[in-house]
Amino acid sequence: MNQREVYIIGVGMTKIYKKAPVSADELGRQAIYEAVKDAGISPKEIQSIFIGEMGGLSGSICFGQRVCGTIGLGGVPMANVESACSSGAIAVHQAYKDVASGRCDVAMGIGVQHLSGSRTAGTGLAPDPSDPEGIQGATMAGMYAMRAQRYLYEFDATPADLALVAVKNRRHAANNPYSSYQKPITVEEVLNARTIADPLTLLMCCPNADGGAAVIVATKEKAQQLGSKLVRISASSLTSGIFRNDFRDMTEMEITIRCTQKSYEMAGLGPDDIDMVECHDAFAIGEFLYYEAMGFCKHGEGAGFIRSGGPDYGGKVVFSPRGGLLSCGHPTGCTGTAQIVEATWQLRGDAVARQVPDCKAAITHVTGGGVYGLDNAACTMHILTR
Amino acid sequence: MEEQVIYHPDFFAIPEGEGKPYLIAFHCAGCGKTWFPILPYCPSCWSNQFEKIALHTGKLYTYTVQNTPQAGVKAPLLFGFVDFPEEGVRVGAQIEVEAGKVKEQLKIGMEMQVIAGPIREEKGGKQVISYKFMPAV
Ligand SMILES: [Zn+2]
Repeated sequence: MNQREVYIIGVGMTKIYKKAPVSADELGRQAIYEAVKDAGISPKEIQSIFIGEMGGLSGSICFGQRVCGTIGLGGVPMANVESACSSGAIAVHQAYKDVASGRCDVAMGIGVQHLSGSRTAGTGLAPDPSDPEGIQGATMAGMYAMRAQRYLYEFDATPADLALVAVKNRRHAANNPYSSYQKPITVEEVLNARTIADPLTLLMCCPNADGGAAVIVATKEKAQQLGSKLVRISASSLTSGIFRNDFRDMTEMEITIRCTQKSYEMAGLGPDDIDMVECHDAFAIGEFLYYEAMGFCKHGEGAGFIRSGGPDYGGKVVFSPRGGLLSCGHPTGCTGTAQIVEATWQLRGDAVARQVPDCKAAITHVTGGGVYGLDNAACTMHILTR
Repeated sequence: MEEQVIYHPDFFAIPEGEGKPYLIAFHCAGCGKTWFPILPYCPSCWSNQFEKIALHTGKLYTYTVQNTPQAGVKAPLLFGFVDFPEEGVRVGAQIEVEAGKVKEQLKIGMEMQVIAGPIREEKGGKQVISYKFMPAV
C-alpha cells in the first residue's frame, strides 16, 4: 500500500493535575487551543478529529463533539476512540492513518481524562467485575505486582531495584513543569512507602491524574509550508491482546514485543537508533519489562540495566524524560497523547532543562486495559524522528 | 445463616459429602486445547464441542497481597495464579492462608488445592461464594 509521510505540525497540552481546576471538556479545549496556535494554522483547516477518553468516565457520550463543538470545530469527520490507557495514542494513530492514506491533509488526535472528577475517583483501577479475575478482586496494581513478584523470583532483581525506577523518573520530573509531582524522592522513601500490592509500594504505582493533550498531523508539504521544525511520525502501530489461559510468561510483555517489532520494521530503525522512550510505566516493574521488550537489554536484565544507568541521561537511552506516569500522574485517556507531545518537544530541541541531548528518534508507548486472558487489551506505539 | 450466592456454578463444583471442591475446565474436541472457564466457542478453532475435566491441584506461579481493595472485597487480599501443568491451564483466584503468615506459608512453585469460600460481599451484605486456593494439605 502506498502511504504518504506524516508529520507533526502542532502539539499542546495542559499541565497534568492531581485535581484539575477545570472540567474534562475544558482540558480538551485548552489542549486543542495550544496545539492549533503551535501549528500556526486556522482551526478550520483541520479535516478530521479523533478523541481518546477512557470508557466514557467523563460521564458523557460523544465526548469529542462536546469538547470541539463550542470552539467551532464541527462539520468534519469526528470519532471518539477508547481502549483504556491507549485511548489518546489511538486517537493520534487514527489521525495519522487519515493523512497517510490520503483521506485528508490535516488531522488531529486528542487525549483527555479527568479521573479526579469521575466515578473511579479514590479507588484502584480494576478489571471489569464481570471477568473471572475481576470478580475475585484483582486490581491493576495487583496484576503488575504479580508480574513483579515473579520477576524478582526468576531474576537478579530486588525491590530496591524497582525503587530505582521511581527515583529516576521523579528526578526527571523535577525539570518538567507539566508534571503532577516534582519533589525528588530516595530509594528509602520508595521502599518505606505504604505497600499497595506486594512488592509494589505507593511510590512504585502511578497516581491518578487529570489532563488534556492534542497533536495535529499533516502531510510533508503542509509541514514544510508552515516552516516549523520537522518531526516525522516514522511508525504508528496499534495491536490488540491475544486470548490465552495457558502458561503465559508474566515476566515479559508479549503484546509490547509484537508492537515493538512492527514499529521498528515500519520506521526502519532498531534500539540502537533510539534516544528516548516514553513508556507505560504505570507501575515500576513496567519499565524493566519495556527495556527488555524494546530490545535495550536482554530478558531478565532490566535491574542490571537501570543499576548501570542505562535508561538515564548519559546512558544508552533516556526512559521517561518527562517523569513518566509515575511522576507526571496518569490521566489514562490523555497519557498516550501527552507522551507524543513530549517526544515532539524533545525532537524539536524545546524540552529545556529535561532536553535529551541531540534527540533524533523517540518512542512513545502505551498499553491499556486489564481484560481476562489478555496480556494487555491494547498496545499503541509511535516512533518520531527528525 | 447469612445469605449466600454462588458465582458462576458452571465454573467449579462442590461435591456432596467427602469430596473436595474442584474447577471445571473444558477440553476442546476440535483442537485439544483446554480452557477455563467455560467459553461458547474454542478461541483457537471455533469448535463448540467440549469435554469437561476437573482441576484439583496445581502449582503457585505468582501471587501478591493487595492492600487497596475493590469495593466489596476486604483488604488485605491475597491473590495468586495457579498452574495446572497436565491440563495446560492457569487460573487466578484469591488464596487463603493463616492470617499474618503469608511469607511463611506461600512459596512460588508450591502445590495448591482448590477450595470454595466467600470472595466478596455484595451491597446489602450478601456473600458471593466462589473457588479459591490454599496450600495443598
Ligand atoms: Zn479448539
